[in-house]
Amino acid sequence: MTTPTTPTTPTTDGTGREAGSKALGRQARAALARSTAGDRWLAILLGLVLFAAGALVALLSYGVFGTGRASRPLLDPMIVDALRAAPDLFRGIAVAVGVLLVIVGLAWAAHSVRPEARPDLVLRSDPDTAIVVSSNAAAEALSGQATAIPGVLRARARMVGADDAPAVRVTLWLADDADVREVLARLDDEVLATARTSLGIGRLPVAVRLELDHSPTAPRVS
Amino acid sequence: MRVLLRVLAPLLGIALAALGVLVVLEVVAAWVQPGRARGLLVPWPDWRRTLETVTWAQPPVAGIAIGVAVAGLLLMLVGLLARRPEIPLTGPAPGITVTTSPRVLARFVGRRVRGTDDIAGASVTASRRRVTVTAQAWNDAGPELRDTVRARVDELLDDLPLRTKPRVIVTVQERRGPR
Repeated sequence: MTTPTTPTTPTTDGTGREAGSKALGRQARAALARSTAGDRWLAILLGLVLFAAGALVALLSYGVFGTGRASRPLLDPMIVDALRAAPDLFRGIAVAVGVLLVIVGLAWAAHSVRPEARPDLVLRSDPDTAIVVSSNAAAEALSGQATAIPGVLRARARMVGADDAPAVRVTLWLADDADVREVLARLDDEVLATARTSLGIGRLPVAVRLELDHSPTAPRVS
Repeated sequence: MRVLLRVLAPLLGIALAALGVLVVLEVVAAWVQPGRARGLLVPWPDWRRTLETVTWAQPPVAGIAIGVAVAGLLLMLVGLLARRPEIPLTGPAPGITVTTSPRVLARFVGRRVRGTDDIAGASVTASRRRVTVTAQAWNDAGPELRDTVRARVDELLDDLPLRTKPRVIVTVQERRGPR
């Protein structure tokens, strides 16, 4: 039996899967390292404001905007008069700016000192029962299996990301003569596939960081 | 730069918040007690008297302004340069992202170069776009050594699933003295 929607089903499925795999890739990239994007943007913004203010004042001071303007006092009576004309308005603005600074400053400080989350893996959550694999248990299982791959000397795994979208960050310390392609293929086929099937999770974004182990150096004189 | 940003970020946040607290406190104090002669925490009436007498053209103003501008520029540089240097590799499946660091790639390349015959030592720097090898050859090595080294490095880079293959630059220096 055919329905009119049949021909369109594969395409919608396909685009859906493509979007899903894009989102998966994005999550996997985000799991690589703790993001410093927020810190960086705020630092750049604050730096830009300081730089612009400093540069403008320096130019004003050197008389670029006219020597008459440069010889006026820093707190110009003209400006004081303007402020006095509507004192409550400017006090209100000053208080609002102060409150905004407090909020932004505290939020920034709190965000940058907060440790990175280690979400647990929730396998099933019903109203009365929930099956949860703790982040430590999942990470230890993964790193233990990854160490068994030939060419991997040490492995460390860590759950990262949000509680409802956990991801894994795996760091592999390779031997000098490791075949990188082979190690990655086996990581996917054996370790991650096992984890997905045994834990019953369909999607688990993974970020892999490759390092070289500090193997004992060969003797310089032999 | 990343470490500097990690240290600076909470300090700057706290400084901003402290500035905001001072502004709010002083403005509210002046608002509810208009006749106050002194500030609550900062002596702003004294500052005000100073600001009313100093003009824009007087020497400390420009100096302080340039200092502030330089500090802002440095902060911008810290923000711009605090990226993680990493080299992307092709993952075995869509949901797997693989990266390594330039240091690791340089060690891989260095090991391969030092394993070449007639090479006494090598220094390697690597980035996403370029691998630079400076190899030291024994003085009886032939002129084709440079191509040999390049071929070995190319072979290694082909073996690694790098997302973009970096350009290889090889310099061979002759090493004097007995082997």
